[in-house]
Amino acid sequence: MLTFIQMEFLKLKKSNIFLLSLLMAALPAVLMYIATFAFDEVQSFELLFTNVNMYMSVLFAVLLFAIIMAYLFGREYNEHTLKAMLTIPISRGKFLASKYIMFLVWVLILTAVTSVSTLAFGFLAGLSGFTIKLFIDSFANLLFANVLLFLTFSPFVFISLFVTNMVPAMVGGASLTLVNMLVYGQTWAPYVPWVCPYLIASGEIAEYSVSIMTPYAMIFATFIIGVIISYVYFTKKDVPL
Amino acid sequence: MTDYVIETTNLSKEYSKNPVVNSIDMHVEKGKIYGLLGKNGAGKTTTMCMLLNLVYPSSGEILLFGKDPSKYPKEVYSNIGSIIETPGFYENLTAYENLKVIAKLRGNYNPLNVKMVLEMVNLDHEKTKKFKNFSLGMKQRLGIAAAIMHNPDLLILDEPINGLDPIGIKEIRDLLKKLSHEYGTTILISSHILSEIENIADVIGFMDNGVLIDELTRDELHNRLNKCVEFEVSDIDLAVELLNKCNLKENKDYTFRKSIGNYMENADEKCGSSSVGGCIHLLSNLELRCQFNKLFVDSGIDVSRVSLCEENLEEFFTRIISNT
Repeated sequence: MLTFIQMEFLKLKKSNIFLLSLLMAALPAVLMYIATFAFDEVQSFELLFTNVNMYMSVLFAVLLFAIIMAYLFGREYNEHTLKAMLTIPISRGKFLASKYIMFLVWVLILTAVTSVSTLAFGFLAGLSGFTIKLFIDSFANLLFANVLLFLTFSPFVFISLFVTNMVPAMVGGASLTLVNMLVYGQTWAPYVPWVCPYLIASGEIAEYSVSIMTPYAMIFATFIIGVIISYVYFTKKDVPL
Repeated sequence: MTDYVIETTNLSKEYSKNPVVNSIDMHVEKGKIYGLLGKNGAGKTTTMCMLLNLVYPSSGEILLFGKDPSKYPKEVYSNIGSIIETPGFYENLTAYENLKVIAKLRGNYNPLNVKMVLEMVNLDHEKTKKFKNFSLGMKQRLGIAAAIMHNPDLLILDEPINGLDPIGIKEIRDLLKKLSHEYGTTILISSHILSEIENIADVIGFMDNGVLIDELTRDELHNRLNKCVEFEVSDIDLAVELLNKCNLKENKDYTFRKSIGNYMENADEKCGSSSVGGCIHLLSNLELRCQFNKLFVDSGIDVSRVSLCEENLEEFFTRIISNT
């Protein structure tokens, strides 16, 4: 499995999408930095971290994760490499599991990029109130939110396997971003799996009149359904040439 | 008992109840080059994909190295190299990096081995060029490198010479012959280029409409090719009359064609005769061609040419397909 992850990184060498994802992960911090001067919006590190985490988890990450997921799985079809990979041989289940793990590793890298870039732009803007504890707490919140969000993306694996190009995933990611914008703050937000990660990680779930188990149940149900349908589909379907 | 590396029994594949491969019984002997011949859409690629577990059979059995590959996938498939249609590689990586990915995942990465195999297919000088900038021939050569890199006992190659120039074709042909004859590698190769299959295959399987019509060794194929002796004679009517007297039947034992060419007419004029020249194709009793020649000459017929003709693979392929 470790070799597989190493090879996934080698496959990303000189890959535009990897660099693009890093830039996108830093984008919320850049926008907040601009907002600091343009709208006098952010004056402290605490507010900066809170805003960046919210924009990242609820908006940017949804679109970004959808694109990454589609790329990770779809490229094996688009570049006709799946037939070579499976005849190495790698079992289809292991192949799928390895891709999931690679996606998780990618999510961890993006989380680190977002937090570090937020820190850098906070200092650049000359904000006050920085403490190590604040940074660690903020990073932990974002990491928790992104890992939960990662779990909600298993249905996108199925979509990437079913329609093997990036367009449906991008449309789906953009649509979910809009859905998140609409439902965030509404009473039924805890029932939307892609908003739940931020609500749980930020503690905002306490403001809703639902059990804490409800958003967890939504996230894990989405994950399990996505894993099952993608596994069944991938292991039963002939490999397109 | 014959040692088969590939053996299929009633292997079939249907898409929406439409049979693409229909009850194939294929037998590929160890160390042989088996050429799978068929026109586009005959079912060659689907058959190979089923052997490689890329496409699931609708019914039938597959044995590779005498084992059921579904029960021993790692053991069986790690001993196979393959190319199916156009080889797929990661476009942002170089040839070396692509081979490294495959070798690492196979668990047998050796930098020297990768370099050696790149030299073998003449891609060692392309150190920085990304796969997306490769020509079709280079892609095909990299596919062959990936297929042979781990010294497999079985190669399954679907149209491996597509896109190669004549020199590249010869190089790959020589390489495959070397692998088969010197290292005992069994090769299943498909192509619609008949001359290539004819050049390298020890056994040829003929496929059409999903059916494996026949499997023939070189000797069997040679015996099955239609042969005839062609006589170019100055008096076709007299020659036919002589053959009939020898109890030979038209269309069964011989065919003939009256000449409308200048040569025969000129010859007739020179001889001052009214006879018409032509060609006789002797289809049976070929071993008696000397006697027939003598008979013609003794009867005053000029025989300007006697030649032994053999049906080529293309004609044979067309004939057996039209008979099914």
